[in-house]
Amino acid sequence: MKKIVIDPITRIEGHLRAEIEIDENNIVQEAYISGQLFRGIETILKNRDPRDAGLLAGRICGVCTNSHFRAAITAVEDAYALELPKNAQIIRDLISLALFLQDHVVHFYHLHLLDYVDVTDALEADPKQTSKLGHQFSERPYANSHAHYISVKEKLQKFVKAGKLGLFANGYWGHKAYKLSPEENLLLLSHYLEALKFQTNISQAIAIFGGKTPHPQTIVVGGITSVADMLNPQRLNDFIFIMKEAKAFIDRAYLPDMKLLVRGYKEEIKQGLGKGAGNFLSVGGYQFDKNHRLFEPGVIFGGDFTAIHPFDARQITENVERAWYDGDDICYTDLNPDGTLKTAGNRDKYSWIKAPRYAQKSMECGPLARILVSYYQGNELIKPFVDSFLKETDLTMEDLHTTIGRNAARAIETAYIAEYLFRFINTLVENIKYYDTATWKQYQFDTLPGESGGKAFLEVPRGVLSHFVEIKNQKIDKYQVIAPTTWNASPKDSSGQRGAYEEALIGLTLQDSQKPLEVLRVLHAFDPCIACAVHVIDAKGKEVGKFKIEQNCLL
Amino acid sequence: MKIVIIGGGIAGTYLANGIKKNIPDTDVQILSDEAYMPYDRIHLCRLVNDSEMIEDISLTLESSVKINLNQKVTKIDPKAKKVITQSSAFDYDKLIIATGSVPKTLFDTSGIKNAATFRSADDTQKIKEGIKGKEAVIVGAGPIALELLDTLNLMSTIQKITLLVRSRSLYDKTLSPQSINIIESTYLKSGKVRISYEDEIIDKTIHNDEITQIITKKLKIENPFLIFGIGIQPNIDFARDSLECNRGVLTNPKMQTSDTDIYAVGEAAEIKETGFIAGHVKECTLQAEVAIANILGIEERVFKQEISIDMLKVGEFDLVDVKAPAFCQKYEKILMTSDQDQRVDEYYICDDKLTRFVGINSNIDIGYLEKLMKEKEPIDASYLYQNRLHSERGRLICSCEHVYQKDLEEMVKENAISNFQELAAFTQAGRVCGRCKKMVEDVIEASQVLIDPNKPKKSATDIQREKELALVKKRIEKFNRLHPQNQLDSENLSSAMDAFEIGTKELNSWLAMVTATMQLHPEFASLIKEGVSMLNRIPIIWLELADCSGNSEAFIKSAHPAIEDLIFEYISLDYHELLMSAAGEQSESALEHTIRTQKGNYILIVEGAVPLGMEGKFLRIGTKGETGISLLRKCAKDAAMVISVGSCAFDGGVVAAAPNPTGAVGAAEALGQKDIINLPGCPVNPINIVGTLLSYLMFDELPSLDQYNRPLWAYEGRIHDNCERRGHYELGEFVKAWGDEGAKKGWCLFEMGCKGPYANANCPTMKFNLNTSWPVQAGHGCMGCVEKGFFDKLANERKIREEKL
Repeated sequence: MKKIVIDPITRIEGHLRAEIEIDENNIVQEAYISGQLFRGIETILKNRDPRDAGLLAGRICGVCTNSHFRAAITAVEDAYALELPKNAQIIRDLISLALFLQDHVVHFYHLHLLDYVDVTDALEADPKQTSKLGHQFSERPYANSHAHYISVKEKLQKFVKAGKLGLFANGYWGHKAYKLSPEENLLLLSHYLEALKFQTNISQAIAIFGGKTPHPQTIVVGGITSVADMLNPQRLNDFIFIMKEAKAFIDRAYLPDMKLLVRGYKEEIKQGLGKGAGNFLSVGGYQFDKNHRLFEPGVIFGGDFTAIHPFDARQITENVERAWYDGDDICYTDLNPDGTLKTAGNRDKYSWIKAPRYAQKSMECGPLARILVSYYQGNELIKPFVDSFLKETDLTMEDLHTTIGRNAARAIETAYIAEYLFRFINTLVENIKYYDTATWKQYQFDTLPGESGGKAFLEVPRGVLSHFVEIKNQKIDKYQVIAPTTWNASPKDSSGQRGAYEEALIGLTLQDSQKPLEVLRVLHAFDPCIACAVHVIDAKGKEVGKFKIEQNCLL
Repeated sequence: MKIVIIGGGIAGTYLANGIKKNIPDTDVQILSDEAYMPYDRIHLCRLVNDSEMIEDISLTLESSVKINLNQKVTKIDPKAKKVITQSSAFDYDKLIIATGSVPKTLFDTSGIKNAATFRSADDTQKIKEGIKGKEAVIVGAGPIALELLDTLNLMSTIQKITLLVRSRSLYDKTLSPQSINIIESTYLKSGKVRISYEDEIIDKTIHNDEITQIITKKLKIENPFLIFGIGIQPNIDFARDSLECNRGVLTNPKMQTSDTDIYAVGEAAEIKETGFIAGHVKECTLQAEVAIANILGIEERVFKQEISIDMLKVGEFDLVDVKAPAFCQKYEKILMTSDQDQRVDEYYICDDKLTRFVGINSNIDIGYLEKLMKEKEPIDASYLYQNRLHSERGRLICSCEHVYQKDLEEMVKENAISNFQELAAFTQAGRVCGRCKKMVEDVIEASQVLIDPNKPKKSATDIQREKELALVKKRIEKFNRLHPQNQLDSENLSSAMDAFEIGTKELNSWLAMVTATMQLHPEFASLIKEGVSMLNRIPIIWLELADCSGNSEAFIKSAHPAIEDLIFEYISLDYHELLMSAAGEQSESALEHTIRTQKGNYILIVEGAVPLGMEGKFLRIGTKGETGISLLRKCAKDAAMVISVGSCAFDGGVVAAAPNPTGAVGAAEALGQKDIINLPGCPVNPINIVGTLLSYLMFDELPSLDQYNRPLWAYEGRIHDNCERRGHYELGEFVKAWGDEGAKKGWCLFEMGCKGPYANANCPTMKFNLNTSWPVQAGHGCMGCVEKGFFDKLANERKIREEKL
């Protein structure tokens, strides 16, 4: 048995470490995933004015920017039973949905694609063939002319000449796990460049209603502040225009590219690489009219898609046996002297991420969970998006439950959101047209209950985000966050049940233990975000000096 | 405001121009009793000998100043705020008397054809026309008389000149006989001049409005042309009824007369406290500045008498007269003379201190003497002696500006100055009192041969900027010699630009934007372009500590996508966990490599707070599980510069907010370093990162920083002051509740707890996401995220005042 330590895992948010144990055949036998930073945002939130929770909690993450901001304010609104004006709800949804599009595209092209695309190989491509290739995946492929690929290839040559590859110098180029043809590589890389523009353009759309991104600043308890932007037809028009362009890229580049990737790596899919325990969690949401919402709530256990269980928040528990906590206290037991995680004993602690469980099960959330739950819950809107993708790629629903399948689910979801986002705008325009310009639910803070509790469950790009707040004497008394990556990157629990990342790594074969490309593929497919993930249950505002490194905390 | 100035001389002109310069739309009128536009009285001699016309000595007057010629003021009516002239009346809000002085005469010369004073252009006309074929008789031996004597002496049309001197002295009664001898001998050389000392006119015969004969104590002169140069007195008769006067109009040190709306400056004014009346141009202009500052309410200023420097330059000798305000008739003198050099240095000493110096053909450094007088140092005679010949700068040309001949020659040569006009950009020599203008012109002319004809011409600011640019260029070249960190280098920057589809227009507009943001002259744009192409010479380590990646995220979403993407690719980011392809051991080795091989050359960018609690173990990075603080120390130790980006790296930000559970601090505090540049913001505006990198590359030094080490160019302006909603604040139009009518109209967010008044940053001008918006535009208001401890003080939606209650 050999141990491989990967720290830092790069091209993700945050400080993530992976330690895997492989046998003599380079097959992963065990995996330990660890969050290596603790900040204690919940502790900081304590004793503050509940109205300030959003601005502060928003800082949990600068990548999932807006998600925590919105969730914190929603939890406080829930505590005060404030019902939002329709427009405020829509504006919040528009910001959130735009973030889905931005996040998914950046993830695929800039954080993940080079795990599948060999940049150097693209230089061998024939532009004419590349153009023909484009037509295999889309009726109107994005920027697909023969001439375009000649120029992209020239560009790439210039990049190489200009040392552009220097940035990726230590990449795993030439690794045997790269399987695409030169033309396929060229086609995908051409969109890598286009996606650079995509992400800056779409951030403008978020800024129209959010003021800026990262860290928008327009959500307040009871509504939103960007009412002047909402009422400005030019601003609305700008938003719509940016979204139309985004949709064009998603439909004609991102989704076809995913189909291409599926074809290229069909073998890995059919082998079931990256399959996890099959426990999926979705809380659903994004209702845009009386009868329609984008995602359904529900729970799947053990890969049995046919039995969707209703989501019940009371089933959530948190286990910290293998995390650096002891009940409500911090219990840091340090690393081994050589810097590796202490994992020798069954109860050794090794991560700042706690282990949330649903009905005692380790869960996976995110695009795949949403797609599966919504599809099998009979959401009529999402069905054609899933069916046509599966049909065209000759995949089954089962196949989505793999590393590449997680990416496919993300792409399907992106196209789906890009289509229905316009329905939200329509509703907004209708409201404004009929003189509903309210954006804030009026209340007198002093008259709100001094003692209350609230929660928010939101689907955000990486999965289920939940914030819990308890208010006493008009101040935050307790605060708790379970982020998507808390679920997915959780450590083992007291029963030895692995977290979703860990489970997905088991059984993976590495071609070259020095270049663990396959491990990166599995982890990146979840789109890790570690800043989000680390949260205490309820540290009681302890003095810094109290935290000591303990060899053994009392359990 | 309507300001009337009486007097169209140097002081009047200086006043009018000065007022216009400060507040251009002020209504300024000059009343002049002369028929000519303002001219420089100091050069009247040149009208006498016809070397120049009156236009040549005219003074420049701001074109919007109204000037009324031929308006002799007869009376001031302070109650009605009116000035009454012989033909008209003028209203004023503020009045300034700058009427100068009138020459003294022994009798009224107005009707007489061959007697004149020497004070105005009309006087010179009279002299010029009447003097031919007559014996010139100059009464007086002061500087004006001596200068006129010199002029007449050189005129071929004049055969005979007599100087009538009441005393035994020339120039000044205190001058030593040695000095007088030298002066006298230069005049007598031509044989045209006789000087009659201890003499005065006792009788005259007038026939047909013409003096046919004068009889003095010692002489009888037929057919004379009489010129009075015996002194001047303040020209203030019109003011005696309405204002408190002595010799001049009495003023306080603010140059204000007994009527608070009336000021007086120059030779017409007498400062009540000291009895001082200005006699030099420099004093007049100084008083004018004081009056302007007080009238326009710019600042409260008072006039202080300064050391005066006079020069008398006639053909063969230079006389320099440096006088301290403390000079009085009670003095002892040290005299150093050299017959051989025709040189005299006269030191007037009172209580061991130098109070005056008169030098003839002297070589002493005037600047040093001035310092002696100013600082009232006891004088050291032996030192003065040793240094009497030490002036490597040649002859003093301009006493006002202390410009010596060699200085001027050097200036002309270096800057290819071809005439007096062009000199203005480099020095005010010849322009302050104007007395030496001719000499300056002569030096310029004589120095033309020194100019390299191939040298292009430049202005003084050009040259200053050129120096700065040269420094920056040198620095960039230094980087050029370094090996590029990634292979993208300046030669293929253009191909990289092609690859990113960056056009020239886009690049130029970006360069202009960055140049303007950094508050640099537009000429720096080309250097910034070069700077960009050198950026990959600087290895950069971007360390993420206790952070949320928000600043990295902002960086890749920076305003001008293509160009900053390029820069981002271009910067040699040797280590950046969010973006680098290598992971684990490969990424660690990249970091080690940079630290080891680029010692002292790399820049460290820190994002996130530094948790110090629990021995720093709240954050561990890398296969060896190094703590955040340990890694930071390791990286900072050999960094050329450390930049903290975002609020967490600045002061711990959200991570250090109360109760600061992990003992987090900013990078500067963690490292105990005071030279770390802070770019706070949550997140920082990416343009400020790019600007800081370029500024390091170009200037090799920290940019100007505020007390929190934030670069002034980005963090100087108060958000409230540059806010687009500021107009509504001034009008009292406030949003009172989220989404109310005011919110829909974009009114001021102060009542909703906007912290713009307490925050300093360039958000209102730079905005975010391709200038799309910023928190104030989006109706929320500022939460002061660039300020220290903002999460505990400012990050809420309530006014600070209410919060404290």
